Amino acid sequence: MKKLLLSALLSVPLWVFGQGFQVNLQGQKQIGMAGAGSALALDEASVFFNPGAVSFLEKNSISAGVNPLLFKSAFKQTGSNITENVKNKIAPPFEAYAVWGPKSNKWKLGLGVYTPFGGLVDWGNEWSGRYALTSLNLKAIYFQPTLSVKITDHIGIGAGFVYNHGEVNLQRALPVNFPDGRSGHATLEGTGSGYGWNAGLYVKTQSNITFAVVHKSKVVTKLNDGTATFDVPESLRTSFPAGNTFNAELPLPSTTTLGVGVPLSKSTTLAFDASWVKWRIYEELAFDYATNTSALADTKSARNYRDGSSFKLGINHQASEKLALRAGVGYAFSPVQDGFVTPEAPDADRYILSAGVGYAPTSHFEVNASFFFEDVKSRQQKNIETGLDGTFKTLVYAPGLSLTYKW
Amino acid sequence: MVGDINMKKIILNSLVAATILFAASCKPEIETPAATTAGTANFGKYIAVGNSLTSGFADGGLYLEGQKVAYPNLIAAQMAIVGGGAFTSPFFTDAQANGSGYVSLTALVNGTPTLTPVAGNGWRDTPTNTRLAKYITEIQNLGVPGMRVDLSFAPTFSAANPYFERLLGDAQVGTTSYFQYVQGRNHTFFSLWLGNNDVLGYALNGAVTIPTDPTTALTDKVTFSSLYSNFVNALTAGGQKGVVATIPDVTAVPYFNTVTPAVLLTAAKAINPAAAAIYIQTGAGSVRAATAEDLIRLPFQNANLFARPNALGFFYGLDPRNPITSNWVLDKDEVIKVKDYVNSYNSSIKTIATSKGLAIADTYVYFNTVKAGIAVQGININAAFISGGAFSLDGIHLTPRGNAAIANVFIDAINAKYGATVPTIDVSKYRGVKFPDK
Repeated sequence: MKKLLLSALLSVPLWVFGQGFQVNLQGQKQIGMAGAGSALALDEASVFFNPGAVSFLEKNSISAGVNPLLFKSAFKQTGSNITENVKNKIAPPFEAYAVWGPKSNKWKLGLGVYTPFGGLVDWGNEWSGRYALTSLNLKAIYFQPTLSVKITDHIGIGAGFVYNHGEVNLQRALPVNFPDGRSGHATLEGTGSGYGWNAGLYVKTQSNITFAVVHKSKVVTKLNDGTATFDVPESLRTSFPAGNTFNAELPLPSTTTLGVGVPLSKSTTLAFDASWVKWRIYEELAFDYATNTSALADTKSARNYRDGSSFKLGINHQASEKLALRAGVGYAFSPVQDGFVTPEAPDADRYILSAGVGYAPTSHFEVNASFFFEDVKSRQQKNIETGLDGTFKTLVYAPGLSLTYKW
Repeated sequence: MVGDINMKKIILNSLVAATILFAASCKPEIETPAATTAGTANFGKYIAVGNSLTSGFADGGLYLEGQKVAYPNLIAAQMAIVGGGAFTSPFFTDAQANGSGYVSLTALVNGTPTLTPVAGNGWRDTPTNTRLAKYITEIQNLGVPGMRVDLSFAPTFSAANPYFERLLGDAQVGTTSYFQYVQGRNHTFFSLWLGNNDVLGYALNGAVTIPTDPTTALTDKVTFSSLYSNFVNALTAGGQKGVVATIPDVTAVPYFNTVTPAVLLTAAKAINPAAAAIYIQTGAGSVRAATAEDLIRLPFQNANLFARPNALGFFYGLDPRNPITSNWVLDKDEVIKVKDYVNSYNSSIKTIATSKGLAIADTYVYFNTVKAGIAVQGININAAFISGGAFSLDGIHLTPRGNAAIANVFIDAINAKYGATVPTIDVSKYRGVKFPDK
């Protein structure tokens, strides 16, 4: 029966799970399982993974974790013999959760603060693609108050409201030269906000096999009155006025996840998640400047993302009362189409490998650690808009640690 | 609890250690299909034969900064990666870096540029300042500004052309032709980009040939083909491989597309709304209203002629009785003629190169794509004057960025023909026009 279910799920036509700016680091235990776990009522991170499973958590808890992420991307121009690398910058995706409900009641309240999207890429001011991009620092921090209700002993539902606080800092060189030969530079910086929701259904069958259906809505994040700073020779100042501002919109996509949890033994559980991310809403990156000039028109850069999908398989093994071991594998299909790969998100299909360990010295306290690795496939591309022509290759490393208190 | 703390410590320490480790190593690798190679070519001694473009002439002059980024010099640096030898050029010294003098952009007000001459300091006859400093030791960048296919065979031109004269010993001046000069250099590879001036000299003078000035003549098509063939034969006499380049459409440069009749009319209307048309004198001698197909030369904007009344009170260029004279205009019939010559020359160049098995850098095609506008490594490059980024302040010759882009056209052609993998040039490292910071 278990085997049948798994093969049924695995034979689902290949959905595309987009990566792009997606950060799959929202719960230390789940990270150790390659990001699978929507169908497991593992811990308070279910606020993110499946609000429906939160009501099945046995204890109240509070936790916080961080996953310093190293995004190591390399680029080689087509025809060149030089490989260029991004600078070593560590992005700090983090997650904090709290779950509370009266014991033996059918409902629980939850709060999650996490970073589901982001990007930190710094190619430096001298690299060959600097006129396309020098650096991007994008952060989306979601705040999600959640209510979860156990309808029966087998079914839980839950939903949360999502508020997003977004920050972006995008920089590139401008191909105009100062008298000493150096290039101009543009910096676009702003903060914005958006709203959405996250809802899930959790089903626990008689055989203890669990299922999940989760939908996280899109969050259209609007940046208003961001600052647009142009460092250009003074003779071009009228074309690039000082004190300019911009408005922009970053549509963060919705995600639908189907999950299954299979207890292989008393101490070992298998989790499988298949997700579909509707990245197709990311059609363009547009900047609407408050002041336009003949040289500074509003820009609309086509992105034309397609939907993406991913498949993640994780295993959680309770080695002893205090020690848990985890591992996971996954594969994700890029939402970025040929001709639209950019240095801000040098995306391609990727493999995911992960491992994790949990240690619970007492029944109240838990520490969990994980290591998450992504191998983004090498991809040779010529960008339609910028003409940037070369091969990108990216590896992602993210060790993580979280602390949990339960009662 | 002591054990817990230790456990936490171990986990923390290993996390820190892991992070540091990965920050330092585990770089992604991009695999190259094959190591860089010269293929079937031998870049041991490369010589570059050509005109001002080859010499690094820019901003209306030959000066050190331009010489250093001449496309052959950029190519030679890349050839060195696949075993190419040294490459020498007749550089002006740092003390004489301004060379023959050039122009710089000193102001840009409402889009109107002010170009200011920078005096040359590369003279050997100061204070007369007419003769350029000599450079007679052996060189490989043999580009001579103003050189033409026809005049390559005229020994007297070595006395008339100051850029050629500076490369010759006194005994050779006036007796050695460029054709003779480039020979006997034991080269293993060559580039040949010559012929532009055989039509450009004529076009730059508004398609008016001055009988006493052979640089304003249009080289006969058959003569061109025959002389070009002689040139290629000489350069391949030892079985050497090389690359030849086609001639760009001379009307693809900002020199002929900046001061348009429409721009002049708009300027005239701003002062006198009744202005109806721009009048030109054609090459055939007739006077008529200018159309968008008539090209006016760039220096006209600073000639201080436009809209000036003559003795009879007729405004220059705005009245059929006082038209813009033919030497300022490449009228549409002359454009057709010039294009026809360029096409004929290019047909000869390609036929001769193909028969010799040489690589062909089709700069004619490339400049036409630049005219339409292209994006290279995130840089938009086009043929607009100043803002286009490819052409220097004389509207004909290239900026460092333009040189890098055209050098890649040569490299691509060389690689394709000889199975070489000469690495391409990072165009982003080279500037366009310098804008004043005040």
